[in-house]
Amino acid sequence: MVAILFILFAGLAIGCAISMVAQRNPLYSAISLIGVFIGLACLYVMLAAPFIAAVQVIVYAGAIMVLVVFVIMLLNVEEEERRPLRLRALMPIAVVLAAILFAEAAFIIFFVHASPGTPTTNVSDIGLTSSIGAGLFTSYLLPFEITSLLLLMAIVGAITLARRGGLLPQDAGVVPGDQVFPQELLDRRQVGDLSPVATHSSEEAERLLGVKRTSPNKSG
Amino acid sequence: MTPQLSWYLALSAVLFTIGVVGVMVKRNVISMFMCIELMLNAVNLTFVAFSSFFRDVSGQLFVFIVMTVAAAEASVGLGIIIAIFRNRESLDVDDASVLKL
Repeated sequence: MVAILFILFAGLAIGCAISMVAQRNPLYSAISLIGVFIGLACLYVMLAAPFIAAVQVIVYAGAIMVLVVFVIMLLNVEEEERRPLRLRALMPIAVVLAAILFAEAAFIIFFVHASPGTPTTNVSDIGLTSSIGAGLFTSYLLPFEITSLLLLMAIVGAITLARRGGLLPQDAGVVPGDQVFPQELLDRRQVGDLSPVATHSSEEAERLLGVKRTSPNKSG
Repeated sequence: MTPQLSWYLALSAVLFTIGVVGVMVKRNVISMFMCIELMLNAVNLTFVAFSSFFRDVSGQLFVFIVMTVAAAEASVGLGIIIAIFRNRESLDVDDASVLKL
């Protein structure tokens, strides 16, 4: 009975994983990956780890995949076009290496029997939230704190990367009068394009550059 | 017949291999990113399986930390992807072969 459930959920996970790699549209890949996460969460429940299963659904299938789908929608990703395979000559070598790896795995599975008994049938308390919390705040306190620091760094890094900043600093100002500045200042994508953009008033320059004037009292 | 530890390890190996193949085959940055998430999940399955069969809570704590790292990786990685797209108008990894923006 339990074996049937395992095969069901493992089949779901593997099928969704293969579908994820096979899809050409990233949005379909993302939905398949959510299927993998759900299948793995079911396996965690079978392994008597309900807390990890809940976190898997909330953090992975909830938070991370929503972020990925949001980015896919934001960037309006098109499907990958088919292109000829590179490095076709390496294909036989890859097949040989895969066969060697498969033989090693088969050797371990069929000839090494050191697996412990199956405790999943009887009730254990190691997967409960209370025991995980106790472990996290006693013997694993330092990794926990390092994790919080890592999250802080990730917040700062994500904001720094996603900020739409030009080459000018935020407090840059323009002076009244005719302005001539390179195209590069307006659009970072046109790096190297130094053809001048002329403006004839401070207001126009302000609007193009998106900065405020140095002296707001003067009328340009 | 109940599932053995080796069943879970085999499933984890299969998922990890699919993830590796995806990273090598895919050319879209977001698809490669999702394949990396799949590999992280395969390792998580190994951790939970060992934790459950050896009756030790440490494995599940490591899974918790791996998930935190994955969340941090997702935020920073997607920020990098948006920056690449903004500068190159493309998500193809072959177009982003130079670190210089």
